[in-house]
Amino acid sequence: MSVAVSHISKRFETFAALRNVSLEVKTGELLALLGPSGSGKTTLLRIIAGLEIPDEGRISFVGEDVTEKSAYERKAGFVFQAYALFQHMTVFENIAFGLRVLPRKKRPNAQAVTKRVNELLELIQLPEFGHRFPSQLSGGQRQRVALARALAIEPRVLLLDEPFGALDAKVRKDLRNWLRHFHDQTHLTSLFVTHDQEEAFELADRVVVFNEGSIQQIGVPSELRQNPSNEFVRTFLEV
Amino acid sequence: MKRATSDHWLMRYLFIGVMFAFIVIFLIFPVCVVLIEALQGGLKFYFNTLLSTHSLTAIRLTLLVALAVVPLNTIFGICAAWAVTHFKFRGKGLLISLIEIPLWVSPVIGGLVFALLFGRRGWLGPWLDDHNIQILFAYPGIVLATAFVTFPFVARGLIPLMQAQGSAEEEAALTLGANGWQLFWRVSFPKIKWGVLYGMILCNARAMGEFGAVSVVAGNIEDQTNTMPLQIEQYYLNFGLPQAFTLASLLLILSVITLAIKIGLEWRRLAPNMARPH
Ligand SMILES: Nc1ncnc2c1ncn2[C@@H]1O[C@H](COP(=O)(O)OP(=O)(O)OP(=O)(O)O)[C@@H](O)[C@H]1O
Ligand SMILES: [Mg+2]
Repeated sequence: MSVAVSHISKRFETFAALRNVSLEVKTGELLALLGPSGSGKTTLLRIIAGLEIPDEGRISFVGEDVTEKSAYERKAGFVFQAYALFQHMTVFENIAFGLRVLPRKKRPNAQAVTKRVNELLELIQLPEFGHRFPSQLSGGQRQRVALARALAIEPRVLLLDEPFGALDAKVRKDLRNWLRHFHDQTHLTSLFVTHDQEEAFELADRVVVFNEGSIQQIGVPSELRQNPSNEFVRTFLEV
Repeated sequence: MKRATSDHWLMRYLFIGVMFAFIVIFLIFPVCVVLIEALQGGLKFYFNTLLSTHSLTAIRLTLLVALAVVPLNTIFGICAAWAVTHFKFRGKGLLISLIEIPLWVSPVIGGLVFALLFGRRGWLGPWLDDHNIQILFAYPGIVLATAFVTFPFVARGLIPLMQAQGSAEEEAALTLGANGWQLFWRVSFPKIKWGVLYGMILCNARAMGEFGAVSVVAGNIEDQTNTMPLQIEQYYLNFGLPQAFTLASLLLILSVITLAIKIGLEWRRLAPNMARPH
């Protein structure tokens, strides 16, 4: 088990955003977190990355308890719902950022940085775009840059928050296939959030159905369809 | 589509005319008077006055005060804006209002507060006396009073700017392993640097021109605690207008330079592509 979330609860003032959530993302697995808007998906992802502090519960990465560690020590690869690219940096500098902020001993030299960034630009199929600024890219291109930026530091886990949320259907499909393909090659332990069940079922190895801050059911797509464990899952999946 | 009222030529000329009349009467005319009066006694007199001990000490003190106050308030402003935008805490709204207090109260009152605190018979006065620390009627007092009056300038501009930008990029930088220092210099600061500079310029202009608060704490010690505005008043009271106008013209020139930089910055901001580093 690569990422273990155990008994996480989180309140915002009086509102319970997460209630006793436990799940595991197995090594090399692509797990989807599926649930309606406002159900707490982003909150859970932020807690895993260390951007939000849970009221209760523990998080561990590859067996190491990281609950007390800050976001910058955890270094989970995070792709944000709204990209959050550095607007004042070029695409190249955005992707290089994680390498440039490494502690001096581990920091690669300029050549190595250039090589790595160019590889990633190649990977996201934007080899000629290094000198552009984020404002000069389309939504789908920004999304891929955000992904490359997260991948540059070779994170132990990849967290994707509605990676295709803001894109049109065609681009969504292309990127979805691309991500599936990418994951098949790298087997990077990944957790991705979506409220689109088709996307979840097509992409993920296993799906976690989420509602009102708690897990309704976890399983492989066929299992969920055949044996919805409660009324919510049944209606949400329209089976 | 035309809107009848605002497009009526009479209204338009009236409004624009009134605006220009105000600007001429209240801004341009006084500036011209200062410059003309300053040169009334001839260039020799002008430079003699500027290079007199009185003037030189005042200029030096004003610059030294600005040199301390502007960095102080810049650091304070950035910290305050950072705290307000990136941390959750109780009383945030109150803090934002408190920062603006110096804009609402008369500078003289600010000066009086420091006099009350540090004066002979003030709260901390006896203790300071025992330890031979001079704050009132000296450089530290002038810096404090000036800092009080000018402290909203950087923070006030930055808070809405940083709030509008949110924390998304900072969070992204954190997940990429940036520590606090790297986060600030590589991500946050580049986004606000023009705002910071703008605030510093305003703060500087106000610091050099401050009269009310400083006059309370400076104590009018000739050739020691007179800043430029105070010395201008001294000239006016003791010698007459020409000397006063001479020093005033220098203060004015400094303001005009500040204004020019400010306009330059605004122009840069309106052309965002030019502000880009690469
Ligand atoms: N900082 C916060 N303060 C107060 N309430 C919050 C905060 N962040 C999230 N919430 C609340 O917690 C709930 C879960 O939010 P979250 O962003 O996790 O939802 P989500 O499942 O990601 O929804 P979406 O699909 O719309 O992105 C929402 O009701 C939201 O209003
Ligand atoms: Mg969300």
